[in-house]
Amino acid sequence: MSIVKDIPSAKKPLKRAYVGIFLWFTGRAIQAAAKVDKEVKKEFDNLPDDFTFSLGCLPNGPWMVIGKRNGAVKYLGGNPSQHKVHVRLAIKSVDAAFLILSFQESTALATARNRLITDGEVPYALAVIRILDIVEVYLLPKIIAGLAVKRYPKQWSAGRKLGGRIGIYARTILGI
Amino acid sequence: MNSVPVFAFTCPVKTNSGNKALEHLPVELAGLNACRPLIITSAKAVGRKAVRTLQNAFGDSGMTLGLFDGVTKTADLGLIEHLKNICLEKKYDAIIALGGYDIVDAAKVLNLAVSLDTADAHKLSPETPVRRHLSPLVVVPTAAASGLETSKFAHFSRRIYSSEYLAPNLVVIDPRLTRAADGKTIAATGLAALGRAAESHISADANPFRDAYSFAAIRFVKENLPAAVIKPADKKASLAILNAASMSGCAASDANSARLHKLGQVFYEMQHIPQGVIMGMCLPHVLGDYLQEGINDLASLLLPLVGEDEFSRTPAAKRADAALAVLGRFLADLYGALGKDLPRNLREAGVPGYIMEDILDVLDKDNEGPYLRTVVERIAE
Repeated sequence: MSIVKDIPSAKKPLKRAYVGIFLWFTGRAIQAAAKVDKEVKKEFDNLPDDFTFSLGCLPNGPWMVIGKRNGAVKYLGGNPSQHKVHVRLAIKSVDAAFLILSFQESTALATARNRLITDGEVPYALAVIRILDIVEVYLLPKIIAGLAVKRYPKQWSAGRKLGGRIGIYARTILGI
Repeated sequence: MNSVPVFAFTCPVKTNSGNKALEHLPVELAGLNACRPLIITSAKAVGRKAVRTLQNAFGDSGMTLGLFDGVTKTADLGLIEHLKNICLEKKYDAIIALGGYDIVDAAKVLNLAVSLDTADAHKLSPETPVRRHLSPLVVVPTAAASGLETSKFAHFSRRIYSSEYLAPNLVVIDPRLTRAADGKTIAATGLAALGRAAESHISADANPFRDAYSFAAIRFVKENLPAAVIKPADKKASLAILNAASMSGCAASDANSARLHKLGQVFYEMQHIPQGVIMGMCLPHVLGDYLQEGINDLASLLLPLVGEDEFSRTPAAKRADAALAVLGRFLADLYGALGKDLPRNLREAGVPGYIMEDILDVLDKDNEGPYLRTVVERIAE
């Protein structure tokens, strides 16, 4: 018998499922927010027409892919290999993704802690981060969103928040 | 700060430290073109929980890990030969050393044997030429570390292998693994780091890059060791001590003066007393002698020890003495907090008299042998 044991790496199904569901929902919410929120729409307007970005975790996913096609923003599923991706935001492990997406670490803090890798143009990546921050503010209650984003927007009116939330949740659930 | 006209400094070690740092390992290994690592450790020394924590960090990576958890203090080149053959047969492409001291030394020598594709590892010696980069080596230190884990040295089978290619590519310091079982373990790690960093910091051939490492190591130990000793499970304090140990190894790699290291190493090799315990005993004597000799800049120790305010309040001519006084008080507090757990001399450490002659014989072979003998005599009782 060898003195060296071979051990296959374990699976983390619960964390992977949480991250997968979160990315799926957020992807659909970004598609919805591009129609509901003017600021998100403006960010996407400034990006090239065939712009595509992905967000997910290394080495084996899950991922979400968002693309701009003929001026409309679409959630393109969870397989980045099927698309030409301009910006890839990769979280180094499913555990790091869980820390970020369960709001134990904000995106800015996770970046500072070297948990994110960005492939692509930095200005485009920053636009993506701004879009994600806005969508998180719409999707999450203030107390949780405050943990997820660098600065919670205080200047937003109650009408924008409430109207935007209803619009984004409705469109996300219906997939329109 | 005075600029040094000519110097060289090398530190090839990347450090990942902090919460969930271990979970970045699969990506870091991929960056080193490795996908099938072999973990080298001692389950007895680091504990089964630490091994499981490291294994779990690879969850969802799809990698298959090799695990050898039987490194002992008596590991020799026969074991290295056996492991080398297994590595080549099973095509492991990276080595991860979990723990400190002999575990990391064995991993460094194994990496040397595997990377050079040595026909017989028994023929490896400190004279073996190492002229190229070796396979990726990752070190994951636990609370019982010597600081030399990050250095270019490997002390194995009473031989000292030295090459900048022996230093690890990556050190991962995770707070889940740095918590100590008792105050003595973390005190020994901290004192070893302090000794190495202090000796590097004051050496006559100091340079600004090395100073940056030694300065931070000294300050980390001064600010965090008392808390870590009182509460060994304190994640923040123990993480800081392991960071200090890691930095002290980088600084020591580059330094020439190593009296404290030599004394710590000989007692570790012959009596398995943690290096920090001996270095703590010798620190006031050796630094005091450096002050007498007047070659080393003892005054430069004061700034990392006390901070900017007290440093600037102390007249330049009194800074060396003040540094020694601060160190003396720091050590006294440490010994006070640990009581009999941390021996103050060789008698309390349980070094038998009949071993002393063997130890002195080994020290006599060193070019500073007569001096080192006087230090051993001073810490005997």
